[in-house]
Amino acid sequence: MIIRSSDEVPRTTVLKRFPVPRNFGVDAASRINRGRTWPAPRGATRIKRFDVYRYDPESGQNPRIDTYQVDLDDCGPMVLDVLIWIKNTVDPSLTFRRSCREGVCGSCAMNIDGTNWLACTKFNADLATPATIYPLANMRIIKDLVPDLTHLFAQHRLVEPWLRSKSPEPERERLQSPQERAQLDGLYECILCFCCTSGCPSHWWNGDRFLGPAVLLQATRWLVDSRDEATGERLDDLEDPFRLYRCHTILNCTRTCPKGLNRGKAIADVKKMPIERRS
Amino acid sequence: MSNARMRSPLGRALGLGSAKDGVEAWWRERVWAVALAPLTVWLTVSILMRADKGYAAVVAWLKMPVTTTLMTLLLVALFHHIAFGLQVVIEDYVHSRIKIPVLVGMRLGCLALGVAGLVAILKIALGA
Repeated sequence: MIIRSSDEVPRTTVLKRFPVPRNFGVDAASRINRGRTWPAPRGATRIKRFDVYRYDPESGQNPRIDTYQVDLDDCGPMVLDVLIWIKNTVDPSLTFRRSCREGVCGSCAMNIDGTNWLACTKFNADLATPATIYPLANMRIIKDLVPDLTHLFAQHRLVEPWLRSKSPEPERERLQSPQERAQLDGLYECILCFCCTSGCPSHWWNGDRFLGPAVLLQATRWLVDSRDEATGERLDDLEDPFRLYRCHTILNCTRTCPKGLNRGKAIADVKKMPIERRS
Repeated sequence: MSNARMRSPLGRALGLGSAKDGVEAWWRERVWAVALAPLTVWLTVSILMRADKGYAAVVAWLKMPVTTTLMTLLLVALFHHIAFGLQVVIEDYVHSRIKIPVLVGMRLGCLALGVAGLVAILKIALGA
């Protein structure tokens, strides 16, 4: 089935994780151990178990899974509320990124119950028991749930995500018709949380060269912008067996996009553009 | 190693730059795959129809000019499809120095097998 948006995805999945033994082929220093269990506060009645990935490179220890018994009556309805509750009342050392708590900043992207999503827009009620919370996959981990996004932002910088114009600078705004503006719908909404790129197998195997869905969506956004005059140069920079054509339309990006954007289609449209210009 | 780490993140992301090429390879993968689809259906149906007809009937069928033409086209499309598919698989998963030798070997292997198939078809078609 071709997935067009992340809200088309069935809630239950057959395989929560690919059936290989845990820690299969993992370097001894990266093996995930069982960590501490933090009991629920006394008097709590509605308790849910959260298994959370913990890693502190300065401790010299392996990553571990800590178990937190969370009092759902004492915190908000979202996964981010749970994390904040843990940090405030149970374990202040738990580290994660968060800012807007309403799905706009893209800071709290993490792997929740096997799916990349924003912690602030994921309901606790939709999670399995125990719920599992890991950082975004395929990134160097700085601490706990905080991945190193340096390379992804460098790839974003590579596509020059700003207006490039050759016409003389206008006196007033650069005009765009409502129809031309509508071309950006489904592209401009991306908040660069990198849920998609982290879930993309092509980016796992060739992330050094393949740009990944988040960056390619941003590239599309500037390719179709009627005010931009560098479309040709942009296409030259993208047309590459690895940068662009390493996408095999696996569609994990579209499945996991917390903003419901069809990244697979955006990339497919870009792949066709060089054909248009040479035939 | 230390040099690799001191290179700027943008420098690392830029790498060797864009190949400014790749659409050709991507497009021919699709064209050959589409060409192969009807030929595969034709071959499957034809073989099933002759499943109980015996050796002589199949050889007689293969000697028909239409069959020889379609079989030749099928072999050409099939081995192009295999070569382009394997190229993607190798580029995806092989990251060591053997990548280029493996790619060349795979291409030559596909060429050899394809030529062997064509010789077989022509031998039947032109044979006594």
